[in-house]
Parts: sequence; structure tokens; C-alpha cells
Amino acid sequence: MQEKHGTKVPTNQLIRYAILFYWSLFWLFNIVDKFIGGSLFLWVGRDRFAQFQKFFASAGLESPIIANAALVIAAGLEVFAFVFFSGALIYFLRKKQESARSWFFVGIIFTLITFTVFSIGDHIFGDRFELLEHTLFWFLTLFSWIAFIRLNKNTSPQPLLQKKQLVAASLASFLLVSITSISIFNYNSNYFHRRTDALNAEKVGDNIYKVEFPFLGGSTVFEKSIGKFKKEYPDKSINHIYTVPNPLRLKKADGLIFYILTEDKK
Amino acid sequence: MKERSIVRFSILIFWTFFWALSVVDKIIPDVHNLWVGKDFFALFVKFFGSLGLKNPIFATSALAVVSALEVVNFVFYLLAIINFAKRKGDVAEKWFFRAVFASMILFSLFSIADQVFGDRFQLLEHGLFWLILIASWFLFKYVPNSEDNSISFKGSKGFKLALVISFVLTIITSISIVNFSNKTFSNVDSPVTGQEVVSGVYKFNFPFLADKLVWEKTINNFKKNNPDLKVNYIYTGPSELNSKKKTHMLLYVFTEKKN
Repeated sequence: MQEKHGTKVPTNQLIRYAILFYWSLFWLFNIVDKFIGGSLFLWVGRDRFAQFQKFFASAGLESPIIANAALVIAAGLEVFAFVFFSGALIYFLRKKQESARSWFFVGIIFTLITFTVFSIGDHIFGDRFELLEHTLFWFLTLFSWIAFIRLNKNTSPQPLLQKKQLVAASLASFLLVSITSISIFNYNSNYFHRRTDALNAEKVGDNIYKVEFPFLGGSTVFEKSIGKFKKEYPDKSINHIYTVPNPLRLKKADGLIFYILTEDKK
Repeated sequence: MKERSIVRFSILIFWTFFWALSVVDKIIPDVHNLWVGKDFFALFVKFFGSLGLKNPIFATSALAVVSALEVVNFVFYLLAIINFAKRKGDVAEKWFFRAVFASMILFSLFSIADQVFGDRFQLLEHGLFWLILIASWFLFKYVPNSEDNSISFKGSKGFKLALVISFVLTIITSISIVNFSNKTFSNVDSPVTGQEVVSGVYKFNFPFLADKLVWEKTINNFKKNNPDLKVNYIYTGPSELNSKKKTHMLLYVFTEKKN
């Protein structure tokens, strides 16, 4: 019966492959982030040197040597984790399951050490959000290990979908993709100008003007809006801009709102 | 060494440090040299103040109870890891169970408090820690014994090659890190140069490394370079204006000509 369904896919092996691929890429991009350092064209990343420098400076260690040394140790752990995960992936692709497992385990150990060290740092520097983040990654690492070794037995391969189901799924997907794409491109054609257009300031009180930002708005919109306001009200001097804080906004429906407070020029 | 022992040891190390440092954080209540930590006393005072219990005795008592529970937790984990190091696996497992159970009670109490004080983010945080604790116990106890492997790379050419590649990559990355640090460290105390984006309005793009000293230097430098301008107002661009999220800050200085 299964023969009619065409190619069979060993799901356990696919998941194991996905685990190895994920961790190899995870550490590869972390290393690239350390290597690049700051922002470049096509790479924003995170300025880890600045982050480490600020952390250590907050603990009274302002010399950049300390931040550099810590960053080098972190990068070293990440490099070792990356190399062993990549090795595991290579062995796995060559169907050398036992070697893949050993290499993966060493990668897991380097990853656990990395996240444990980061968590200790989070305690010392008082960053509770990063502590949660690193604890979650620590747990994901352990979970990945268990999932990887528990999936080592080949289950009976799952057949691919029947032809009818495959055609129906493809048609439905194509239709939905088309509708979504039309909607996205339509929104782009009709509303992308919000990324750059100046906004009108609405007078809401004596010398108080409100500006409501669209979600697409950024610093260009802000600067153009201020320029427009100054042109429209040449006799007014801006003496304060009040950004409406989150509790005064309608949850996620409101974008940035700010009030321009002015006085008459003398 | 066997994989199972290494994984168990990693779990014990993580949680022992976790609770040891949580206790240290309570012992050192403020920011000190080599320790920043979190000001739990201020947090508790604010929480109880929001309930209408403004007397610091409530916050102090609650913090004392929490600290005591954390100390108990830490001692349990410490006993677990000591016994594990002495190869007394069964005793270590018993202490680890006590430790995990005590930690779960503590996180349950925290979660109740988060609901009372309406802090949903902390509720999520404590809920996740609670879940990770259960998972840690599960992994500690049920790391498959039957499938346990010994780690051995003796004589493996691949292993030696991996070590060489790792060292080379670490050296290359380290050189890049140190170069970047040398290039950007001056941002710690260099004033930022402004750009006039609208007539009389100057934008300053602060790098991530900049702090309050850079702000002071920037404004003083701006005033020195523009003696004919009067600074009317300084506006810190909110995160919505910032395409690089947390990594830098936008500052706008509104000026007008001096009479």
C-alpha cells in the first residue's frame, strides 16, 4: 500500500538533521556578529563590544582590555561549539551516526558552558531579561541533545502525501500565496509614502499641536514633519516636544504620538 | 567520562551557580565594584507600596523570607553537586530532587505575587523558570541510561583538525574584536557631531558606547562651535524613530539665533 505513495521520508532523521543545521547556523552567525562588530550594509547585528564595555564599566572595570578579554573568551567558546556542530553535521550527512553523535555532544557541552557563563554574567550585571534568555537557550540546548539521541532509532518511514492531497494542498497554497502577495504589494504601492512623507500637526489647544505617526514612520518622517511645522507656523517657536508614553496609547493600535508645545516668537 | 554524567553535572553546575548568585545578590543590596546585581529591596518596596502597604517592614520581611528560601535552595543544590562529585549518584539525585522541589515552590510563590502585583512579564519569566526546573529534573533523572555513550576521540584525525580550525578561527575573530574595539573605543568620551536636518534643528546620532559624559561633551561642543545659536530644547528620539533598536540613540537639538 505504501509503495503507491512514492518517496518515503525518515522523519526522525530529518528532525536530527534540522537540529544539527540549527545549532551550526546559530553559532556561525554569532561568530560572524563578533567578527563584524558593528553595523554594515546588509548586517546590523549587535555591537557586542559596546555591550560588554558597558557591562564591565557598570561594575567599575572601565578598561577596554577587560571587555576585549571577555569577548574573546565568549567568541572562543562559540567558535568551538560551531566547529563541533558543523563536524557533527558533516558526519551525519556521511551517514556516520556514531561520530555525528560524539561531535554533537562536544558541541552541546561548549554551548552549555557558554550559556552557563553568560547566566553568571547576567546575575553579576543585574540583567534579568538576558538571564531569562540565556536560561531558555541553556534549556533548549539540553532539550536538543535529548531529542537528538532519542531520535536515533529509525522509525518506519512516513510516506509522502497522496497525489490528490498533494495537488489540492499545492493549489490551496498557491491561491493563498497569490492573495497575500497581492495584498502586500498593494499596501506597498499605496502606503509606502508613509515612510517618508511629512505629517500634519493638528492644533489641539493653545500652542499645543498633535502629530500622530503611522507605524511606517521613522526619523525621516519626524524631521520632515518638524520642518513642515516650522514652515507653516513661522511665528511659533518650539519649546517642548512631549512624546505620549505607552500607557496613554491605545495598546498596539496607536503608533508614536507626540505633542509640539510652542510659544509666540518675540 | 560518560555522556550521562557530563549532562547531569552541567545541570547541577548551572542551578548551583544560579542560586548561589541569587543569594549573593540579596547579600549585596546595592551597586558595588565588581557587582551590579538587581535592587530587590527597591523592587519589593515599590510592589508593596502599590498595594497600599507603604511601611518598609512588609518589603523587608518579604525579602527576608525569599532570601531564606533561596539560601535553602542553594544549600540543597550544593549538597547535590558535592555528592555527585563524590560519585554518590543516588544521594546526589535525592538532594537534587529536594532542590528542584524547593525551587518550584519558590517560583510558584513568585508567580502568585506577580499576579497579585499585576506584573505579567515577571509572571511569564517565573513561569518559564518553573518549567525549565521541571524539565531539568526530567532530564537529570531520565537521561537515557541504556543509550549512554563514552566520549573518546583518541587518535581521531578529525578531532585534531577541529581543534586546529577552532584555534585558528578564535585567533582571527579575536584579532577582529580587538581591532573593532581599538577603532570604536574613542566613542566612550568623544563628542558626537550634529547634522542640521531642518533649519535650526540638529540631529545627533549617538553610538551604543556613548553615555552621559558623551552627552555632556556633545552639548558643550555644540554650544562652543555655534556661539550664535541658543539651545531652546533637546528632544531624545523615542525607539520608534530608531531603526537600529537598542544599539544607538537619536538626539535632536532645537535652536534659534541669539538676538
